[in-house]
Amino acid sequence: MTNKFELSIISADSKVFEGKVENILVPGMVGDFLVLSNHAPCISSIRPGFLEFSEGTSDKKRYFVSGGIIEVINNMVSVLVDSAVAGDKVVEGDITNLISEVNDRLSAVDTVNKDDLGLRKNDLEEALKQA
Amino acid sequence: MPSLKDLKIRIDSVKSTRKITKAMQMVAAAKLRKAQESAERGRPYAEKMRDIVSNLASSVKNIAGDNKFLGDGSDCKKFLLIVATAERGLCGGFNSSIVKLAKSRIAELTSQNKEVKILTIGKKGREQLNREFESLFIGHVDLSNEKNITIDTARKISMDIISRFEDGEYEVAEIFYNKFASVISQIPSSYKLLPVSFSEKEADASNVSFNFEPDEDEILSEIIPKSIATSIFSVLQENAASEQGSRMAAMDNATRNAGEMIDKLTIDFNRSRQAAITNELIEIISGAEAL
Repeated sequence: MTNKFELSIISADSKVFEGKVENILVPGMVGDFLVLSNHAPCISSIRPGFLEFSEGTSDKKRYFVSGGIIEVINNMVSVLVDSAVAGDKVVEGDITNLISEVNDRLSAVDTVNKDDLGLRKNDLEEALKQA
Repeated sequence: MPSLKDLKIRIDSVKSTRKITKAMQMVAAAKLRKAQESAERGRPYAEKMRDIVSNLASSVKNIAGDNKFLGDGSDCKKFLLIVATAERGLCGGFNSSIVKLAKSRIAELTSQNKEVKILTIGKKGREQLNREFESLFIGHVDLSNEKNITIDTARKISMDIISRFEDGEYEVAEIFYNKFASVISQIPSSYKLLPVSFSEKEADASNVSFNFEPDEDEILSEIIPKSIATSIFSVLQENAASEQGSRMAAMDNATRNAGEMIDKLTIDFNRSRQAAITNELIEIISGAEAL
């Protein structure tokens, strides 16, 4: 028997998902990581990309998130996202819009922030390929 | 004594006023429900955000890290007061109670020789504060084109506030708004936005040691702008709900007053009509007697 844990995905204006899941794959800021039950407490920021989790059955659920924070504590996983779109509803246009938004900001900011935004752009383009 | 015609005109005009206030009350009631719902939807996010920030802050405190956004705000000289009011009037004491609270804070701060700056959200607050404190204004956020407050609006405001903080325009930011206690009661309140202090927040898991990815500082500098945006968002939502609640109560009062006025005027009207009829009768009778 596999162990399950509580997962809640919350965006600023609604609860996106709440329920028991077996595992969740998170696009962490420094790299993707998988959370199983009894994971050590951790807090990590999330880069734009796909969240993937399964509720026990074989099919996985996918959400495109545009960045956020994940907190893991005592088998409770909370994901705070800026915005989330269910994987099957992701339109390439959404991501392309985000990329152009980042591009606009890239041209406006100084070099220090440019690196960050450049990384963000890479993340988004990566996500676009996966979509 | 006003003539019958004058009274009739007045009764009609009060009646149409009553219709308007009644309609406004019902519109406010519908909007209030919507505003309350959206405030409730945003609550889990805001609560979780607060939890994470306090967990983070307590860990950072443990490793004695120094983040420019953290502190208790004591011995700061430059204050920014963010006054969040409504775009429209006709909502009872809603706007003026916030402005009153802000004014007393301004007086308190200036008497302590602190530097005060004002940023307003919503037209009504600006109008009222502009008369007295025009020189202190550094900005205004216009929400008149926003039908519903979205997190994006809050993000824009918070970005502006944070960049001003980083430029050293101020050291402490406080936001003034009406807390939504119930439909009939809204409490003008203030809330310290920046710097984020962890003394007032209880870390619910202070003895759990978290793994951080990347490190605390980086997460903190990413999460704090988000948490400020969230705070502003929930403040604006509470304000919107309070505004509608306040308007509903004010319009309910106005409708009742109009009703009373109509009753009084109708009595006056009937009395003068009766007097006119009696007068006519007397004239007819005395005319007949003279024959």
